Amino acid sequence: MNTRETIARQALELEMIRLRHWQHIMNEDLKKKLFQIPIHVAFGSEAIAVSVSNVMTGNDQLVLTHRNMAYNLARAGALKPVYEEYKLSQAGVSRGRMGSMNMVNPARGVVYSSSILGNNLSVACGLALAKRVNGDPGVVIVTTGDGAMEEGGFYEALVFAKSQRLKLMIIVENNNHSMSSTIEQRRCNIAIDRMCQAVDVRYTFLSSNDVFEYVLALSQFRAETVEQARPVCVEARLALMNQHAGPTPGWPTDPMNVDIKNGLVVREASEDPLYVLRETMGEHAFRDVADQVASERWN
Amino acid sequence: MGTYIAAINEMLAKEIAELPHAVFYGENIDTGSRISGLARNFKAADSSLLINAGDCEYTHCGVGFGMMLNGATAVLFVKQLDFMLLGMDHFVSTYQAIRAHRDFSTLGSFTIIVVSYDQGYQGPQSSFNALGDMCSMARVPGYTLTNIQDSAYIIRTQLRQPGFRFISLSQRHSPKELLQVDLVCVDKNASVFQYTEGSRATVACFNFSMPEGMLLHKKLLERGLSSSVFSVNNVFPRDWSAILRSVARTGHLVVLDDSKSINLLGYTLLHEAAEAVPGSQRIIVTREAEVDFGVCPDSFEIDYDALASWLLGRTSKRPAVA
Repeated sequence: MNTRETIARQALELEMIRLRHWQHIMNEDLKKKLFQIPIHVAFGSEAIAVSVSNVMTGNDQLVLTHRNMAYNLARAGALKPVYEEYKLSQAGVSRGRMGSMNMVNPARGVVYSSSILGNNLSVACGLALAKRVNGDPGVVIVTTGDGAMEEGGFYEALVFAKSQRLKLMIIVENNNHSMSSTIEQRRCNIAIDRMCQAVDVRYTFLSSNDVFEYVLALSQFRAETVEQARPVCVEARLALMNQHAGPTPGWPTDPMNVDIKNGLVVREASEDPLYVLRETMGEHAFRDVADQVASERWN
Repeated sequence: MGTYIAAINEMLAKEIAELPHAVFYGENIDTGSRISGLARNFKAADSSLLINAGDCEYTHCGVGFGMMLNGATAVLFVKQLDFMLLGMDHFVSTYQAIRAHRDFSTLGSFTIIVVSYDQGYQGPQSSFNALGDMCSMARVPGYTLTNIQDSAYIIRTQLRQPGFRFISLSQRHSPKELLQVDLVCVDKNASVFQYTEGSRATVACFNFSMPEGMLLHKKLLERGLSSSVFSVNNVFPRDWSAILRSVARTGHLVVLDDSKSINLLGYTLLHEAAEAVPGSQRIIVTREAEVDFGVCPDSFEIDYDALASWLLGRTSKRPAVA
């Protein structure tokens, strides 16, 4: 590994650990009920959020769902502007106008977030079509979930994006939950790979929760959508710690008892990207970075 | 000038050819009948696209808002207003989220040009004729094209405006000649067009009832009564001051509203006129409130004689037209 690669790896490690730590900070205020608005933490989605943010270039745009905390933190590169938005402050990343579920940060490429399941996919198609007509080389990346992709808008967006040769990357976050119901509890299995195959859209599946692998895979897919002017679809398997819409982490009903006083929560399983990172870095190096992050002043 | 649909198509084709970095799209706009002639002979500028899109109205609506977010111009052509019910989520929620944080002047332009099926006998599903209701739910402007003046003005000014709006055509007027009228005035938001100036009655026409309003004006003239005729669009904030000044002069307000809705904007004008001009006489003419759910006529019938008698004061009883 050369020096540049080492620096890049260290930067990713730092981003991953910061993202977990920042969510802890907000989760503590969430437990104290200090926010007027609903807030969706995303412990467990750090790998996909950090990797998406890292593959974006200058003209790229990101379109998010209501569960956008990890992505917005990764794009902002700081906790304070996102925290202030949750507090509906003028200092917020969206001037306190958008709250949590519609949070945007145009300066960092986050141009639209939707609290309506499936709503953001067609908007992303329009953003990409505008890029085409304006000669803008950037890519549009849109996130959705295993619940939102049940909406007809998912299929429509695949067809439209493919028909119009849009530079669009669709990220399906498969966390096995829509509200509190699992996939098995609510529907038959949907083979997203075969849906994509049916309309000739390239598909890949990510499940390792390894941020380094994710960055490489997304970089390749981003290059493909640019070079071939065709949409691509990435399904990422992830597990959120509060069972998606379960108890707020750390609340009395939370079996994990998430508390910032106990340091970074890490689930001892490969479904947790921080566990995967710790295994890669080694316990000692991981703890050093975690200690450094904990000592950083964020506000 | 040609038929209503042909004349409006000609205006649209001319405007579209001059719009750069735009996307004109819709089902069958570049094949077959071109939406019954609405999209005939469209040619986009070199930097623009003409897209014969598939059948996915929800996505078409979201696409328009995405293009608007990135500063481009999008014009979606739609065969029937009821198809746009599939886009209500975007009109209400998506546009709300955009307007919450974006400086309006930085937005591109998104226009939906859609035909309202207001002629009846098209089947139960085609009976949706309530543009005003959609505009109200989403707090967006909606314009109806009823004659040569409002068509030319709205097409010329709105397709380039930042933000979103509906422009709707009437299917029942499509085979007729496009109505030739003179324009007295129009406000800057194109919310109210005035076509005649009179002293005995104020006639305010909503949705596609302006031709009927002009016919009423003619029939009143035959009886020696002059009237001021206005057509009113679904524009918020609205400026109805010209209509209310007219009511203050004439003392009589006739509202025509051919929308198929129980929440007519025309009722709001009646209310505002009652407050602004106490003692004025007011009446509204609407469609039948209780319409058959099956295939049926969708007619908008006006008893002109009864209205004239009411205006002449020959009967104190309000005519049974509302």
